[in-house]
Amino acid sequence: MFEHLDPRSPIPLYEQIAHRLRVAIAAGELAAGAGLPSVRKLATDLRINPATVVQAYRELESEGLVEMRQGSGTFVGEVGAPRRARERATEARRLVRELLASGARKGLSLAELRVAIDAELDGKR
Amino acid sequence: MTSAIEVSGLQYRAGPGFSLTGVSLAVPTGSIYGFLGPNGSGKTTTIRLLLGHLRADAGTIQVLGESVPKNAERVLARIGYVPERPHLYGTLRVEEAIQYHASFYPTWDAGLAAELQRAFRLNGAMVLSRLSKGELGKLMMLLALSQRPELLVLDEPTDGLDPAARREVLSALVEFVAQRTATVFISSHLVHELERICDRVAILDGGRVVSELPIDILKSGMKRLRVAGVPRMLPAPPFTILTRDLEVAGSETWAVQNWQTQHAEWLLENGITLREVIDLDLEEGFVALLQSRAVLAQPASDSSDFARLST
Repeated sequence: MFEHLDPRSPIPLYEQIAHRLRVAIAAGELAAGAGLPSVRKLATDLRINPATVVQAYRELESEGLVEMRQGSGTFVGEVGAPRRARERATEARRLVRELLASGARKGLSLAELRVAIDAELDGKR
Repeated sequence: MTSAIEVSGLQYRAGPGFSLTGVSLAVPTGSIYGFLGPNGSGKTTTIRLLLGHLRADAGTIQVLGESVPKNAERVLARIGYVPERPHLYGTLRVEEAIQYHASFYPTWDAGLAAELQRAFRLNGAMVLSRLSKGELGKLMMLLALSQRPELLVLDEPTDGLDPAARREVLSALVEFVAQRTATVFISSHLVHELERICDRVAILDGGRVVSELPIDILKSGMKRLRVAGVPRMLPAPPFTILTRDLEVAGSETWAVQNWQTQHAEWLLENGITLREVIDLDLEEGFVALLQSRAVLAQPASDSSDFARLST
């Protein structure tokens, strides 16, 4: 889940970690009650500042997605279907924005992107 | 917030070619603080002043609440220090070096030392002069961590280590600070390494601190701007232009620091078209910062050295 974190990205590392977890929770990959890795384990595995992991977990806690229990760890909260759908929609929009921005940098028009998307979908059918 | 290290107005003249000029630092307790700079910028000299190995010509140093060098001996037992060059006797065996070190520190944690020796796969019977650079680096980290210091001062702790050894050393460091309140002051010219683990960084160049910020703020303010319609007389901008490269007449690429999105309005007011804003990572921003200083203070061989080393 935490492969390819990019310390060079202008998106802070804590936000990158929170984002991955948010997506996993929205997808149901992490179910309610599932335990997240301890701060110590995740920081050591990723060789990042433990404070960065705490910051990511706090952010998710403030969004009501996880619960930090003193002494026992951090657990995925009860996230209702509407909330999960909202998170998924947010992620879908983010991917599209990324695609459009990347296309714009390469000088691709919207029409060209649409043609490519259609072609890709045809290939899948 | 209290400071583990507080340095103000430090002056030190090492010889005709080099001096520290007014170095000031405040390292918050519990932070992982990166001390970044090209080779020869004064990192090791600053560290030796912090530990009382050298005496400053002017300025004050407080480490863990004690005045240095006056009370240095009181504070040294609470600091784990990994020097740039290991200062161990080559004829000792690994286990002897560990025992020798243990005898100096009342806080020594023999369990942690044994655990790290296993994790690092260090053979106790090996003679130090026969250890590889990676093994020696691991041993130095083992010695520093096992004394359970309140402050770790690490001078290029992974310099010359292969990537696998570097990973192990940094993992051990992170695991240590995840379990207790300890402050880490780590110097390096390896930008990516610090980018991962530091809360704050100070950038040293030519004996001066040229930047000192939380890492996320430092990074978010470093951009490359592609601009057009630059007037011949450019008024002072609200951000810092580090470097300016002319593309064609009126079109330029700038490396900037302290950039905020609302600064786009300033460009507009001055008739400048902002074509693109490109994010810089710490290393790119850093090289631009050193280039800008090289232009200010000719000649500057340090920065070109650094650009080469850090890639």
